[in-house]
Amino acid sequence: MITTEQGPPTKPAAKYRSQFRIYVDIMRVIQREQNEAKPTRILSGANLSHDRLVRYLGELKALDIIHEFGSEEKVFGLTQKGVEFMNNFRKVEAFAEAFGFKI
Amino acid sequence: MMRNAEKHGFSFSCRLGVELAPPTWFLGFDSLMEFIAFIIAMAVGFQARKSYTLTKERTLLYLNSSFILIGTGLLVEGLADLIVLLSRFHRGFVFLSSVGYTIDFFAQVLAYGILVFAYLQQTRTWSSQLTAAAIPILFFEHNAFSELILIFLLAYIAAQTAINYSVAKTTNSLLVFSAFTLLTIAHVFFLFYTIEPIFFAFAHIAQLLGFLLLLQMLFKVNKAQ
Repeated sequence: MITTEQGPPTKPAAKYRSQFRIYVDIMRVIQREQNEAKPTRILSGANLSHDRLVRYLGELKALDIIHEFGSEEKVFGLTQKGVEFMNNFRKVEAFAEAFGFKI
Repeated sequence: MMRNAEKHGFSFSCRLGVELAPPTWFLGFDSLMEFIAFIIAMAVGFQARKSYTLTKERTLLYLNSSFILIGTGLLVEGLADLIVLLSRFHRGFVFLSSVGYTIDFFAQVLAYGILVFAYLQQTRTWSSQLTAAAIPILFFEHNAFSELILIFLLAYIAAQTAINYSVAKTTNSLLVFSAFTLLTIAHVFFLFYTIEPIFFAFAHIAQLLGFLLLLQMLFKVNKAQ
């Protein structure tokens, strides 16, 4: 489970991405890049500033969701835990969307 | 058995305050259908709980609470009706049917009220404070038109799921929309039951079909990779 910070419930939805949603967006970009995503790709794909990207990548590495490899240039891939998380998330997303709830 | 029930002045259900008796051949099937619907409602509630644990999204917690309440209501009513049936409509047990229905009614109003609240929060057509103030009114407005209250709540949910289907166009959203439409129709049939007993059977069949569609959606969601 990934714990997230959540804003007050009365604030308008879709204005802010939760930390959880940002994690998912980063993982999505990594999957889209065949599990070998360069930081620049993640930065543009997940629509993050450099500072926030560094912070979130660090957090995901600490959670053992992603791992870093590549000798000359940094490349990120999902760990087994990350792949399992994304599989579970897709089910959750499909379930919530069936009722019309956005995650 | 039904003759015995009628001899004791038993009405299987006192919906809308009218003495009602369901078709004799259908007795027992209603409890069976309610038990199946209970299992499905709990499965949907469990899936919502699992989803909430992963995402901490509050609407999923509402969905969880709603289906657990629906399941509990169905279980209580199914058990109450079954006990009455097994007791061969013994004078000391017949009141249980009305108790079961009342508990199921309040559980459903609460459950569908929570779902309406979740949709209103999502669409934000009302302020959350106004909605929170409106829901308790629904709880305590129990009167002869109990089915109309449920039809009103379910029709709103069915409309929301229809809007969702028109946007998402996925099989899962179609299944949920169809399920809530059938649940609405089931309660319309419960209303018609006051006119014609056969609608009691139609209502239970429509309700079961609605829950079976939700089960199919659950299978599809969990099968997808």
